[in-house]
Amino acid sequence: MGTTQEAQEPSMEEEKGGLVRFFASDHRYVLLGTSVVALIGMWFSMQPRSSQSFLANAYALEVVMYYALMAWVVVSLVALVTKLVHWRDYQQKSPFAKPAAKHVERICSYVVWLFSAVLFVDRAIMGFVAIVKSAVGSNANPQDFVGGMVYMVYKGRGIFARGIATTIELAVFGTVIAFFLALLLVFLRLQQIDRPDNDFVRFLKVIGCGFAKVYSAVVRGTPMMVQSLIIYFAGFAVLSGSGMSTNDIRAVWSTFVAGLVTISLNSTAYMMEVLRGGIEAVDPGQTEAARSLGLSQWQAMSKVVFPQGIKNSIPALSNELVINIKDSSVLSVIGVFDLMFATTTVAGIYYRQLETYIAAAVCYLILTMVASKLLSMLAKHLDAPAMGPALSSSEVAVTTGIAGSADQTIKVDVDHTEDRVRRGGM
Amino acid sequence: MASESTQGREPVIRIEGLRKSFGKHVVLRNIDFEVMPGEVVTIIGASGSGKSTLLRCINLLETPDAGHVWFHGQDLAAEHVDVNKLREKIGMVFQGFNLFNNLNVLQNCTLAPVTLKKASKADAEAEAMRHLDEVGLADFAKSPVTSLSGGQKQRVAIARALCMKPDLMLFDEPTSALDPEIVGEVLSVMRDLAKDGMTMVVVTHEMEFAKNVSDKVVFMDQGVIAEEGDPRQIFTNPKKPRTREFLSRYLEDKPDQVQEA
Ligand SMILES: Nc1ncnc2c1ncn2[C@@H]1O[C@H](COP(=O)(O)OP(=O)(O)O)[C@@H](O)[C@H]1O
Ligand SMILES: [Mg+2]
Repeated sequence: MGTTQEAQEPSMEEEKGGLVRFFASDHRYVLLGTSVVALIGMWFSMQPRSSQSFLANAYALEVVMYYALMAWVVVSLVALVTKLVHWRDYQQKSPFAKPAAKHVERICSYVVWLFSAVLFVDRAIMGFVAIVKSAVGSNANPQDFVGGMVYMVYKGRGIFARGIATTIELAVFGTVIAFFLALLLVFLRLQQIDRPDNDFVRFLKVIGCGFAKVYSAVVRGTPMMVQSLIIYFAGFAVLSGSGMSTNDIRAVWSTFVAGLVTISLNSTAYMMEVLRGGIEAVDPGQTEAARSLGLSQWQAMSKVVFPQGIKNSIPALSNELVINIKDSSVLSVIGVFDLMFATTTVAGIYYRQLETYIAAAVCYLILTMVASKLLSMLAKHLDAPAMGPALSSSEVAVTTGIAGSADQTIKVDVDHTEDRVRRGGM
Repeated sequence: MASESTQGREPVIRIEGLRKSFGKHVVLRNIDFEVMPGEVVTIIGASGSGKSTLLRCINLLETPDAGHVWFHGQDLAAEHVDVNKLREKIGMVFQGFNLFNNLNVLQNCTLAPVTLKKASKADAEAEAMRHLDEVGLADFAKSPVTSLSGGQKQRVAIARALCMKPDLMLFDEPTSALDPEIVGEVLSVMRDLAKDGMTMVVVTHEMEFAKNVSDKVVFMDQGVIAEEGDPRQIFTNPKKPRTREFLSRYLEDKPDQVQEA
């Protein structure tokens, strides 16, 4: 191995990329990075053991691990000092830079990671298990934060489960219904007067397009919480106007149904705009070619443009499910028994708000992360353009990947995404 | 050649007093123009002279402001004409191919026949395979269009148009988006089509094609037809100075074509 090659090693490794390679391959970072890991392991070792700790029965083993970690830190320090002293010709002078020594260092670093991991499991994971065990077995709400949280989630598990189920139902059904309504609406929205149309058809097209525009503006311009209240009470008023008794109305027009209607109608407007963006990104030449063959506007749309436009929209459309999981929380205002409502209920029982709402946040986070993961797998399956950052972008990159331009990316400004993310704020 | 044999017959396309402007920008001023059955007409002229717009007025992708376009004696400019029905008989080939990206090669060819002529899928596919074979792409029937080269795409586009059994084919610079070495494969398909007696209007910068294949050359300049006539006459002895200027500039730019011509 020539020295020039040795000297070039770090930059080459960095080019190959990856944090793992960075730590695993470059021996200086093996020493430094792994030292941090060793210090963390030592810190865990200094923490008190919980009742579930398995190292409690293997005290000698833990002592060995502790001093092994400490030894590693010392060796690393020596290596660092050597390096500082020989900063000019470190690669040749330092015994730590010899290939054989580097090999040993690498192996030792794996051992350090292993020891630290064992200590982490023993203290952190088993500690949490201990808290869960004692909280679950407890007769009274534990005073500590995590214990109280676990206790309340456990005691209120039925309520939470019902809330989570309702949230998932609202989000999934709402998104699916909204997708079909949005298809209908975007079809109206994109109507253009065509030569063969008679006056009646022209009139209908103008009305349809206008309706879609107004619908989108109104729905996107008002908070979903207000919409849900209006829809719930309007439904109630209409049904009681038809002479039904309050109990009969409650049976038909439940808060869940009203919530589902709200979330569907609301999401329709956003999905319509997403679809419009995706469809307008389709090359107008596609429509021209279809029309030149004699296809009608409707045929060109349904057979050529819509399939491509919907494919373009898949990333932003699936983002809508994630948004609906979160935003369905505002529906608790009309009494829909969703995760938010369940949380408020449990918080009310125990009078411990902070712990329960953090538990709710964790539940929402898990739901949205699982949904994102499933959707990106689905998108991959459908060969759609990759899903961007699910929650934050105000622009959605829509790839016209199906075209002769697999590498060509059209940025479609889905201008509402930003206000969308904020729409549920209580 | 074809012009003599078609004397006295109805023109496929007759255009009279055609005008078209985009906003204040007048693109076509008073165009008169005729295409007889079996005739191959090439339209040449500088970019921006209105060639594409003229072509697109023939199948009403652009709506004329004034004037008439008769297709087999039927006035296309009349209100509430069923343009969809008429377009079935007028094939068009675009510079950018415009193949349907959501469909494979065969589906590209069968979409319109199955949708519009209520042909059975099997019949439409048999017909499409015949045309794909003509353009030498039968092996690619099941390929996604993305996998094709530019020349192959354009040949599929021609086959797709032929599947509707058109009376007239419009070509808008069919080879301009292609690399020079694959222009020939598309031109040879078009040459075969002309030989089979297809009526064609071709906007092109391929002067060799215009000279040797077409029955009539139309030179457009700033929205008017500056000169039209027999290709040999236009290329060897243009009457108008503008035509001479354009051709000399054009042939200067492309010295290889002078030799071919
Ligand atoms: N859809 C359109 N809107 C506005 N201007 C147009 C449109 N299509 C063409 N033009 C203008 O009309 C002129 C003629 O265009 P075109 O017919 O495409 O010319 P050519 O095909 O001869 O290059 C050009 O100046 C072009 O800018
Ligand atoms: Mg043009």
